[in-house]
Amino acid sequence: MDQEQNRRDREPDLTARQEAPCRQESTGAQARKAATPGRELYLNVRFLAGMMAALILIFTFVARIVVVSGPSMEDTLHGGDMVLVWTLGYTPKQGDVVVVTQKTYQEDSIIKRVIAVAGQRVDIDYDAGVVYVDGAALEEDYIKEQMRLPAFGEGINHVTVPEGCCFVMGDNRNNSADSRHPDIGIIDDRCVIGRSMFVFFPPSRIKGL
Amino acid sequence: METILHILRSLPWRIRWLACALGFALAAALIRLLQLSTAFEAPLGLAIPHAPASVTLLCLLVMAGAALLMLAVHQPLRRRPWAKGQAHRWDFAFLDVNDRVYPVMMVGAAFLALGAAPGLLIRGASRLRLYLELRGQHGQPTDNGFLLLCTAAGALLAFFGLLQMGRESFRPGRRGKGGFSAALPGAACCMWLLEHFRAHASDPVLWDFAPQIVAIVAGMLFYMDCAGMSTGASRPRRLLWLAGMTVVLSALSLPEQSSVSDLLLLAAQALAAAATLWRLPPNLENPPAAGQPYQPMQVPPQEEESIHE
Repeated sequence: MDQEQNRRDREPDLTARQEAPCRQESTGAQARKAATPGRELYLNVRFLAGMMAALILIFTFVARIVVVSGPSMEDTLHGGDMVLVWTLGYTPKQGDVVVVTQKTYQEDSIIKRVIAVAGQRVDIDYDAGVVYVDGAALEEDYIKEQMRLPAFGEGINHVTVPEGCCFVMGDNRNNSADSRHPDIGIIDDRCVIGRSMFVFFPPSRIKGL
Repeated sequence: METILHILRSLPWRIRWLACALGFALAAALIRLLQLSTAFEAPLGLAIPHAPASVTLLCLLVMAGAALLMLAVHQPLRRRPWAKGQAHRWDFAFLDVNDRVYPVMMVGAAFLALGAAPGLLIRGASRLRLYLELRGQHGQPTDNGFLLLCTAAGALLAFFGLLQMGRESFRPGRRGKGGFSAALPGAACCMWLLEHFRAHASDPVLWDFAPQIVAIVAGMLFYMDCAGMSTGASRPRRLLWLAGMTVVLSALSLPEQSSVSDLLLLAAQALAAAATLWRLPPNLENPPAAGQPYQPMQVPPQEEESIHE
Protein backbone atom coordinates (compact mmCIF):
# COMPACT_ATOMS: atom_id res chain seq x y z
CA MET A 1 0.00 0.00 0.00
CA ASP A 2 2.79 2.33 0.98
CA GLN A 3 4.77 1.41 -2.11
CA GLU A 4 1.79 2.26 -4.29
CA GLN A 5 1.40 5.58 -2.51
CA ASN A 6 5.10 6.28 -2.92
CA ARG A 7 4.92 5.56 -6.63
CA ARG A 8 1.96 7.92 -7.03
CA ASP A 9 3.79 10.59 -5.07
CA ARG A 10 6.95 10.27 -7.12
CA GLU A 11 5.42 10.25 -10.57
CA PRO A 12 4.18 13.86 -10.66
CA ASP A 13 7.61 15.02 -9.49
CA LEU A 14 9.35 13.36 -12.41
CA THR A 15 6.81 14.77 -14.84
CA ALA A 16 7.13 18.20 -13.34
CA ARG A 17 10.93 18.24 -13.64
CA GLN A 18 10.54 18.27 -17.40
CA GLU A 19 8.21 21.27 -17.46
CA ALA A 20 9.28 24.69 -18.66
CA PRO A 21 10.47 27.06 -15.90
CA CYS A 22 7.84 29.71 -16.70
CA ARG A 23 5.09 27.17 -16.29
CA GLN A 24 6.56 26.11 -12.95
CA GLU A 25 6.66 29.71 -11.73
CA SER A 26 3.08 30.51 -12.54
CA THR A 27 1.64 27.25 -11.26
CA GLY A 28 3.68 27.42 -8.09
CA ALA A 29 2.55 30.95 -7.38
CA GLN A 30 -1.06 29.99 -7.95
CA ALA A 31 -0.67 27.03 -5.65
CA ARG A 32 0.77 29.18 -2.87
CA LYS A 33 -2.17 31.53 -3.15
CA ALA A 34 -4.69 28.69 -3.24
CA ALA A 35 -6.91 28.98 -0.19
CA THR A 36 -7.43 25.55 1.30
CA PRO A 37 -9.28 25.24 4.63
CA GLY A 38 -6.18 23.83 6.34
CA ARG A 39 -4.01 26.68 5.12
CA GLU A 40 -6.57 29.29 6.11
CA LEU A 41 -6.91 27.74 9.56
CA TYR A 42 -3.14 27.65 9.93
CA LEU A 43 -2.76 31.28 8.89
CA ASN A 44 -5.38 32.33 11.43
CA VAL A 45 -3.76 30.32 14.22
CA ARG A 46 -0.34 31.71 13.32
CA PHE A 47 -1.71 35.23 13.34
CA LEU A 48 -3.26 34.72 16.77
CA ALA A 49 -0.06 33.18 18.14
CA GLY A 50 1.97 36.07 16.73
CA MET A 51 -0.40 38.61 18.24
CA MET A 52 -0.24 36.88 21.61
CA ALA A 53 3.55 36.80 21.50
CA ALA A 54 3.67 40.49 20.60
CA LEU A 55 1.25 41.41 23.40
CA ILE A 56 3.14 39.38 25.99
CA LEU A 57 6.43 40.96 24.93
CA ILE A 58 4.88 44.45 25.09
CA PHE A 59 3.42 43.74 28.53
CA THR A 60 6.80 42.42 29.66
CA PHE A 61 9.12 45.15 28.41
CA VAL A 62 7.01 48.25 27.75
CA ALA A 63 3.89 48.39 29.89
CA ARG A 64 1.84 46.30 32.27
CA ILE A 65 -1.77 46.13 33.35
CA VAL A 66 -2.47 46.20 37.07
CA VAL A 67 -5.74 45.58 38.86
CA VAL A 68 -6.06 47.69 42.00
CA SER A 69 -6.96 45.81 45.16
CA GLY A 70 -7.66 47.49 48.51
CA PRO A 71 -8.51 51.03 49.62
CA SER A 72 -5.03 52.54 50.15
CA MET A 73 -5.21 54.86 47.11
CA GLU A 74 -8.79 56.06 47.56
CA ASP A 75 -10.17 58.37 46.23
CA THR A 76 -7.72 58.43 43.33
CA LEU A 77 -8.05 54.68 42.71
CA HIS A 78 -10.62 52.17 43.88
CA GLY A 79 -10.51 48.40 44.22
CA GLY A 80 -11.15 46.78 40.83
CA ASP A 81 -9.79 49.66 38.77
CA MET A 82 -7.58 48.48 35.92
CA VAL A 83 -4.55 50.67 35.37
CA LEU A 84 -2.03 50.82 32.53
CA VAL A 85 1.49 51.05 33.95
CA TRP A 86 4.41 52.32 31.86
CA THR A 87 7.59 50.42 32.67
CA LEU A 88 10.09 51.07 29.87
CA GLY A 89 12.96 53.30 31.05
CA TYR A 90 11.00 54.77 33.94
CA THR A 91 12.64 56.49 36.91
CA PRO A 92 10.41 57.69 39.76
CA LYS A 93 9.43 61.37 39.93
CA GLN A 94 7.71 63.23 42.73
CA GLY A 95 3.92 63.10 42.46
CA ASP A 96 3.77 60.05 40.15
CA VAL A 97 1.50 57.14 41.06
CA VAL A 98 3.76 54.09 40.87
CA VAL A 99 3.50 50.31 41.20
CA VAL A 100 6.07 48.85 43.57
CA THR A 101 7.00 45.32 44.62
CA GLN A 102 8.60 45.35 48.06
CA LYS A 103 9.28 41.72 48.88
CA THR A 104 10.14 42.48 52.51
CA TYR A 105 6.44 43.27 52.96
CA GLN A 106 4.55 41.04 50.51
CA GLU A 107 4.99 39.22 47.19
CA ASP A 108 2.23 41.13 45.42
CA SER A 109 2.74 44.66 44.16
CA ILE A 110 1.46 47.78 45.90
CA ILE A 111 0.38 51.01 44.22
CA LYS A 112 1.35 54.32 45.86
CA ARG A 113 2.26 57.93 45.15
CA VAL A 114 5.88 59.13 45.13
CA ILE A 115 6.25 61.79 47.82
CA ALA A 116 9.99 62.36 47.61
CA VAL A 117 12.90 61.15 45.50
CA ALA A 118 16.63 60.78 46.13
CA GLY A 119 18.20 63.58 48.17
CA GLN A 120 14.91 65.07 49.41
CA ARG A 121 14.05 65.35 53.09
CA VAL A 122 10.67 64.07 54.30
CA ASP A 123 9.11 65.21 57.59
CA ILE A 124 5.65 64.12 58.64
CA ASP A 125 3.73 66.10 61.23
CA TYR A 126 0.87 63.91 62.45
CA ASP A 127 -0.51 66.60 64.76
CA ALA A 128 -1.07 68.99 61.86
CA GLY A 129 -1.61 66.22 59.32
CA VAL A 130 0.97 67.75 56.99
CA VAL A 131 3.85 66.28 54.99
CA TYR A 132 6.94 68.46 54.49
CA VAL A 133 9.39 67.82 51.66
CA ASP A 134 12.62 69.77 51.96
CA GLY A 135 10.91 71.94 54.56
CA ALA A 136 7.97 72.94 52.37
CA ALA A 137 4.46 71.69 53.18
CA LEU A 138 2.94 69.65 50.35
CA GLU A 139 -0.40 70.78 48.96
CA GLU A 140 -2.19 67.48 48.72
CA ASP A 141 -5.62 67.84 47.22
CA TYR A 142 -5.60 64.15 46.27
CA ILE A 143 -5.68 62.68 49.81
CA LYS A 144 -8.92 61.19 51.09
CA GLU A 145 -8.94 62.70 54.57
CA GLN A 146 -6.62 64.41 57.02
CA MET A 147 -3.75 62.19 58.14
CA ARG A 148 -3.77 60.74 61.68
CA LEU A 149 -1.17 58.73 63.61
CA PRO A 150 -1.18 55.19 62.10
CA ALA A 151 -1.78 52.03 64.14
CA PHE A 152 1.90 50.99 63.83
CA GLY A 153 3.05 54.26 65.43
CA GLU A 154 5.00 57.07 63.85
CA GLY A 155 7.14 54.66 61.84
CA ILE A 156 9.51 56.36 59.42
CA ASN A 157 8.50 60.02 59.53
CA HIS A 158 11.75 62.02 59.49
CA VAL A 159 14.14 60.85 56.81
CA THR A 160 16.34 61.98 53.95
CA VAL A 161 15.78 59.73 50.94
CA PRO A 162 19.04 57.97 49.94
CA GLU A 163 20.42 57.89 46.39
CA GLY A 164 18.54 55.50 44.09
CA CYS A 165 15.48 55.38 46.34
CA CYS A 166 12.11 57.05 46.78
CA PHE A 167 9.53 57.62 49.53
CA VAL A 168 5.96 56.57 48.69
CA MET A 169 2.61 57.00 50.45
CA GLY A 170 -0.99 56.03 49.70
CA ASP A 171 -3.58 58.73 49.08
CA ASN A 172 -5.79 57.19 51.77
CA ARG A 173 -3.24 58.01 54.47
CA ASN A 174 -5.18 56.48 57.34
CA ASN A 175 -5.58 53.13 55.62
CA SER A 176 -2.31 52.60 53.78
CA ALA A 177 0.82 50.55 54.34
CA ASP A 178 3.54 52.60 52.68
CA SER A 179 7.04 53.99 53.26
CA ARG A 180 6.06 54.99 56.78
CA HIS A 181 5.55 51.32 57.64
CA PRO A 182 8.75 49.81 59.15
CA ASP A 183 8.39 46.62 57.02
CA ILE A 184 8.26 48.63 53.80
CA GLY A 185 10.37 51.74 54.39
CA ILE A 186 12.21 53.63 51.71
CA ILE A 187 11.75 52.01 48.31
CA ASP A 188 14.68 51.12 46.07
CA ASP A 189 14.03 52.55 42.59
CA ARG A 190 14.68 49.09 41.14
CA CYS A 191 11.61 47.82 43.03
CA VAL A 192 9.43 50.28 41.13
CA ILE A 193 7.74 48.47 38.25
CA GLY A 194 6.52 51.63 36.55
CA ARG A 195 4.30 54.68 36.50
CA SER A 196 0.50 54.40 36.41
CA MET A 197 -0.64 56.22 33.28
CA PHE A 198 -4.42 55.98 33.37
CA VAL A 199 -7.40 53.98 34.54
CA PHE A 200 -9.01 52.25 31.57
CA PHE A 201 -11.58 50.04 33.27
CA PRO A 202 -14.38 50.28 34.36
CA PRO A 203 -15.45 52.73 31.64
CA SER A 204 -17.12 55.01 34.16
CA ARG A 205 -13.76 55.59 35.88
CA ILE A 206 -11.56 56.20 32.83
CA LYS A 207 -9.12 59.00 33.71
CA GLY A 208 -5.45 59.97 33.55
CA LEU A 209 -3.24 59.79 36.62
CA MET B 1 38.93 34.24 12.89
CA GLU B 2 39.79 33.57 9.26
CA THR B 3 40.57 29.96 10.12
CA ILE B 4 37.26 29.52 11.91
CA LEU B 5 35.38 30.99 8.96
CA HIS B 6 37.31 28.78 6.56
CA ILE B 7 36.50 25.68 8.60
CA LEU B 8 32.83 26.71 8.87
CA ARG B 9 32.60 27.21 5.10
CA SER B 10 33.95 23.73 4.47
CA LEU B 11 31.27 22.10 6.66
CA PRO B 12 27.85 20.89 5.51
CA TRP B 13 25.06 23.33 6.22
CA ARG B 14 23.45 21.25 8.95
CA ILE B 15 26.76 21.16 10.83
CA ARG B 16 27.18 24.91 10.41
CA TRP B 17 23.73 25.50 11.87
CA LEU B 18 24.26 23.10 14.76
CA ALA B 19 27.77 24.35 15.52
CA CYS B 20 26.62 27.96 15.52
CA ALA B 21 23.46 27.36 17.58
CA LEU B 22 25.06 25.01 20.11
CA GLY B 23 28.15 27.21 20.45
CA PHE B 24 26.09 30.27 21.24
CA ALA B 25 23.83 28.19 23.48
CA LEU B 26 26.76 26.95 25.55
CA ALA B 27 28.20 30.45 25.82
CA ALA B 28 24.81 31.88 26.80
CA ALA B 29 24.31 29.26 29.51
CA LEU B 30 27.78 29.88 30.96
CA ILE B 31 27.39 33.66 30.98
CA ARG B 32 23.92 33.28 32.51
CA LEU B 33 25.49 31.24 35.32
CA LEU B 34 28.06 33.99 35.81
CA GLN B 35 25.29 36.59 35.79
CA LEU B 36 23.31 34.71 38.42
CA SER B 37 26.31 34.66 40.74
CA THR B 38 27.55 38.21 40.18
CA ALA B 39 24.83 40.49 38.80
CA PHE B 40 22.21 40.39 41.54
CA GLU B 41 22.20 41.95 44.98
CA ALA B 42 21.36 39.98 48.10
CA PRO B 43 18.91 39.70 49.84
CA LEU B 44 16.18 40.91 47.45
CA GLY B 45 17.88 39.79 44.26
CA LEU B 46 17.68 43.19 42.60
CA ALA B 47 19.71 43.50 39.42
CA ILE B 48 22.97 45.47 39.64
CA PRO B 49 22.72 48.14 36.92
CA HIS B 50 25.10 47.63 33.98
CA ALA B 51 26.66 44.53 35.52
CA PRO B 52 29.35 43.18 33.13
CA ALA B 53 27.72 39.74 32.90
CA SER B 54 24.34 41.23 31.98
CA VAL B 55 25.83 43.50 29.33
CA THR B 56 27.90 40.61 27.92
CA LEU B 57 24.83 38.40 27.81
CA LEU B 58 22.86 41.01 25.87
CA CYS B 59 25.73 41.43 23.41
CA LEU B 60 25.97 37.67 22.99
CA LEU B 61 22.26 37.38 22.21
CA VAL B 62 22.51 40.12 19.59
CA MET B 63 25.54 38.37 18.07
CA ALA B 64 23.71 35.03 18.07
CA GLY B 65 20.70 36.58 16.36
CA ALA B 66 22.90 38.21 13.73
CA ALA B 67 25.02 35.10 13.09
CA LEU B 68 21.98 32.87 12.72
CA LEU B 69 20.36 35.46 10.46
CA MET B 70 23.42 35.40 8.19
CA LEU B 71 23.25 31.61 8.04
CA ALA B 72 19.54 31.79 7.21
CA VAL B 73 20.11 34.30 4.45
CA HIS B 74 22.81 32.16 2.84
CA GLN B 75 21.12 28.80 3.37
CA PRO B 76 20.81 27.17 -0.07
CA LEU B 77 17.23 26.47 -1.08
CA ARG B 78 16.38 24.62 -4.25
CA ARG B 79 13.08 25.29 -5.88
CA ARG B 80 11.35 22.07 -6.81
CA PRO B 81 9.28 21.80 -9.91
CA TRP B 82 5.63 21.87 -9.19
CA ALA B 83 2.79 20.46 -11.23
CA LYS B 84 -0.95 20.60 -10.98
CA GLY B 85 -2.27 18.06 -8.53
CA GLN B 86 1.02 17.83 -6.68
CA ALA B 87 1.19 18.77 -3.03
CA HIS B 88 3.20 21.75 -1.90
CA ARG B 89 6.89 21.15 -2.05
CA TRP B 90 7.56 21.70 1.67
CA ASP B 91 5.31 18.86 2.81
CA PHE B 92 8.27 16.53 3.03
CA ALA B 93 10.66 19.04 4.53
CA PHE B 94 11.49 16.71 7.43
CA LEU B 95 11.36 13.47 5.48
CA ASP B 96 14.31 11.14 5.25
CA VAL B 97 13.54 7.48 5.71
CA ASN B 98 17.22 6.63 6.31
CA ASP B 99 17.83 9.24 8.99
CA ARG B 100 17.54 7.90 12.52
CA VAL B 101 18.82 10.99 14.32
CA TYR B 102 15.82 13.24 13.69
CA PRO B 103 13.12 10.82 14.85
CA VAL B 104 15.15 9.82 17.90
CA MET B 105 15.59 13.47 18.90
CA MET B 106 11.91 14.22 18.32
CA VAL B 107 10.83 11.21 20.37
CA GLY B 108 13.21 12.35 23.10
CA ALA B 109 11.67 15.82 22.99
CA ALA B 110 8.20 14.27 23.14
CA PHE B 111 9.02 12.31 26.27
CA LEU B 112 10.62 15.37 27.90
CA ALA B 113 7.35 17.23 27.29
CA LEU B 114 5.40 14.31 28.68
CA GLY B 115 7.62 14.31 31.77
CA ALA B 116 6.65 17.90 32.47
CA ALA B 117 2.92 17.14 32.60
CA PRO B 118 2.66 15.39 36.02
CA GLY B 119 4.55 18.16 37.84
CA LEU B 120 2.40 20.85 36.26
CA LEU B 121 -0.73 18.88 37.06
CA ILE B 122 0.23 18.43 40.72
CA ARG B 123 1.15 22.11 41.15
CA GLY B 124 -2.00 23.28 39.40
CA ALA B 125 -4.23 20.98 41.44
CA SER B 126 -2.66 22.06 44.74
CA ARG B 127 -3.10 25.74 43.86
CA LEU B 128 -6.70 25.17 42.84
CA ARG B 129 -7.36 23.33 46.13
CA LEU B 130 -5.79 26.17 48.14
CA TYR B 131 -7.75 28.75 46.17
CA LEU B 132 -11.02 26.95 46.80
CA GLU B 133 -10.22 26.57 50.51
CA LEU B 134 -9.44 30.26 51.00
CA ARG B 135 -12.02 31.65 48.58
CA GLY B 136 -13.78 34.66 50.04
CA GLN B 137 -11.40 34.89 53.00
CA HIS B 138 -8.72 37.44 53.76
CA GLY B 139 -5.46 36.46 52.05
CA GLN B 140 -7.17 34.58 49.24
CA PRO B 141 -4.50 33.66 46.64
CA THR B 142 -4.74 35.40 43.27
CA ASP B 143 -3.69 32.27 41.37
CA ASN B 144 -6.37 29.60 41.04
CA GLY B 145 -4.02 27.19 39.23
CA PHE B 146 -6.13 27.13 36.06
CA LEU B 147 -3.29 28.17 33.75
CA LEU B 148 -0.99 25.54 35.26
CA LEU B 149 -3.61 22.86 34.60
CA CYS B 150 -3.97 24.15 31.02
CA THR B 151 -0.18 23.99 30.62
CA ALA B 152 -0.22 20.39 31.87
CA ALA B 153 -2.83 19.55 29.23
CA GLY B 154 -0.70 21.42 26.69
CA ALA B 155 2.37 19.37 27.63
CA LEU B 156 0.35 16.23 26.95
CA LEU B 157 -0.68 17.60 23.55
CA ALA B 158 2.94 18.54 22.86
CA PHE B 159 3.92 14.92 23.55
CA PHE B 160 1.56 13.63 20.88
CA GLY B 161 2.50 16.40 18.45
CA LEU B 162 6.24 15.87 18.79
CA LEU B 163 5.85 12.11 18.56
CA GLN B 164 3.88 12.50 15.34
CA MET B 165 6.44 14.97 13.94
CA GLY B 166 9.16 12.39 14.53
CA ARG B 167 7.04 9.70 12.88
CA GLU B 168 6.37 11.84 9.81
CA SER B 169 10.10 11.87 9.07
CA PHE B 170 10.22 8.19 8.13
CA ARG B 171 6.63 7.58 7.12
CA PRO B 172 6.06 9.22 3.75
CA GLY B 173 2.76 9.76 2.02
CA ARG B 174 1.08 11.74 4.78
CA ARG B 175 0.97 15.06 3.02
CA GLY B 176 -0.66 17.94 4.81
CA LYS B 177 -1.01 16.11 8.12
CA GLY B 178 2.22 17.38 9.65
CA GLY B 179 0.82 20.88 10.14
CA PHE B 180 -1.71 19.77 12.72
CA SER B 181 0.89 17.74 14.67
CA ALA B 182 3.37 20.61 14.78
CA ALA B 183 0.72 23.08 15.90
CA LEU B 184 0.05 21.05 19.06
CA PRO B 185 3.35 21.91 20.81
CA GLY B 186 2.81 25.49 19.64
CA ALA B 187 -0.55 25.54 21.40
CA ALA B 188 1.12 24.14 24.52
CA CYS B 189 3.62 26.99 24.38
CA CYS B 190 0.72 29.49 24.33
CA MET B 191 -0.56 28.12 27.66
CA TRP B 192 2.93 27.95 29.11
CA LEU B 193 3.64 31.54 28.04
CA LEU B 194 0.48 32.86 29.69
CA GLU B 195 1.21 30.91 32.87
CA HIS B 196 4.78 32.13 33.09
CA PHE B 197 3.77 35.71 32.39
CA ARG B 198 1.04 35.63 35.04
CA ALA B 199 3.36 34.07 37.62
CA HIS B 200 5.88 36.94 37.25
CA ALA B 201 3.52 39.85 36.67
CA SER B 202 4.60 41.53 39.91
CA ASP B 203 8.32 40.85 39.56
CA PRO B 204 10.21 44.12 39.08
CA VAL B 205 13.45 42.36 38.02
CA LEU B 206 13.21 41.70 34.28
CA TRP B 207 16.24 39.40 34.25
CA ASP B 208 14.34 37.02 36.56
CA PHE B 209 11.73 36.06 34.01
CA ALA B 210 12.21 37.84 30.68
CA PRO B 211 14.78 35.33 29.27
CA GLN B 212 12.34 32.48 29.71
CA ILE B 213 9.45 34.49 28.25
CA VAL B 214 11.53 35.23 25.15
CA ALA B 215 12.58 31.56 24.98
CA ILE B 216 8.96 30.40 25.12
CA VAL B 217 7.97 32.95 22.45
CA ALA B 218 10.79 31.71 20.20
CA GLY B 219 9.72 28.10 20.79
CA MET B 220 6.08 28.89 20.07
CA LEU B 221 6.89 30.68 16.79
CA PHE B 222 9.27 27.87 15.85
CA TYR B 223 6.57 25.22 16.28
CA MET B 224 4.11 27.38 14.35
CA ASP B 225 6.55 27.68 11.46
CA CYS B 226 7.08 23.91 11.55
CA ALA B 227 3.32 23.59 11.13
CA GLY B 228 3.48 26.05 8.25
CA MET B 229 5.74 23.71 6.27
CA SER B 230 2.83 21.33 5.71
CA THR B 231 0.12 23.89 5.08
CA GLY B 232 1.40 25.77 2.07
CA ALA B 233 2.60 28.68 4.16
CA SER B 234 6.24 27.76 4.50
CA ARG B 235 8.92 30.12 5.80
CA PRO B 236 12.02 27.86 5.66
CA ARG B 237 14.64 30.53 6.35
CA ARG B 238 12.68 32.00 9.23
CA LEU B 239 12.04 28.51 10.59
CA LEU B 240 15.77 27.81 10.65
CA TRP B 241 16.50 31.12 12.34
CA LEU B 242 13.79 30.52 14.93
CA ALA B 243 15.07 27.00 15.56
CA GLY B 244 18.56 28.36 16.20
CA MET B 245 17.28 31.08 18.50
CA THR B 246 15.10 28.56 20.35
CA VAL B 247 18.19 26.47 21.09
CA VAL B 248 20.15 29.53 22.28
CA LEU B 249 17.37 31.10 24.36
CA SER B 250 16.31 27.79 25.92
CA ALA B 251 19.91 27.13 26.98
CA LEU B 252 20.05 30.65 28.41
CA SER B 253 16.95 29.97 30.50
CA LEU B 254 18.01 26.53 31.71
CA PRO B 255 20.51 27.45 34.49
CA GLU B 256 17.99 29.08 36.81
CA GLN B 257 14.90 26.95 37.04
CA SER B 258 12.79 26.66 40.13
CA SER B 259 10.52 24.03 38.64
CA VAL B 260 11.45 20.74 37.00
CA SER B 261 8.47 21.04 34.67
CA ASP B 262 9.75 24.28 33.15
CA LEU B 263 13.18 22.69 32.79
CA LEU B 264 11.75 19.70 30.94
CA LEU B 265 9.62 21.85 28.63
CA LEU B 266 12.62 24.05 27.81
CA ALA B 267 14.76 20.99 27.14
CA ALA B 268 12.00 19.56 24.92
CA GLN B 269 11.77 22.62 22.72
CA ALA B 270 15.57 22.95 22.53
CA LEU B 271 15.87 19.31 21.44
CA ALA B 272 13.10 19.68 18.85
CA ALA B 273 14.76 22.81 17.49
CA ALA B 274 18.16 21.08 17.33
CA ALA B 275 16.52 18.17 15.49
CA THR B 276 15.12 20.64 12.96
CA LEU B 277 18.56 22.14 12.43
CA TRP B 278 19.84 18.64 11.79
CA ARG B 279 17.11 17.57 9.35
CA LEU B 280 15.94 20.67 7.49
CA PRO B 281 19.09 22.13 5.81
CA PRO B 282 19.89 19.03 3.68
CA ASN B 283 16.24 18.73 2.68
CA LEU B 284 16.17 22.36 1.62
CA GLU B 285 19.21 21.77 -0.56
CA ASN B 286 17.77 18.60 -2.01
CA PRO B 287 14.04 18.26 -1.36
CA PRO B 288 13.08 14.61 -1.06
CA ALA B 289 10.18 12.98 -2.82
CA ALA B 290 7.95 10.57 -0.98
CA GLY B 291 9.66 7.34 -0.17
CA GLN B 292 13.02 8.39 -1.56
CA PRO B 293 15.95 8.60 0.84
CA TYR B 294 18.13 11.66 1.02
CA GLN B 295 20.63 11.87 -1.81
CA PRO B 296 23.46 14.37 -2.14
CA MET B 297 22.55 17.24 -4.42
CA GLN B 298 23.10 16.34 -8.07
CA VAL B 299 21.44 19.30 -9.71
CA PRO B 300 23.72 21.60 -11.71
CA PRO B 301 24.32 24.99 -10.06
CA GLN B 302 22.34 26.92 -12.71
CA GLU B 303 19.18 25.15 -11.58
CA GLU B 304 19.58 26.43 -8.04
CA GLU B 305 17.79 29.56 -7.06
CA SER B 306 16.84 31.37 -3.94
CA ILE B 307 13.28 31.39 -2.89
CA HIS B 308 11.65 34.54 -1.65
CA GLU B 309 8.52 33.44 0.05
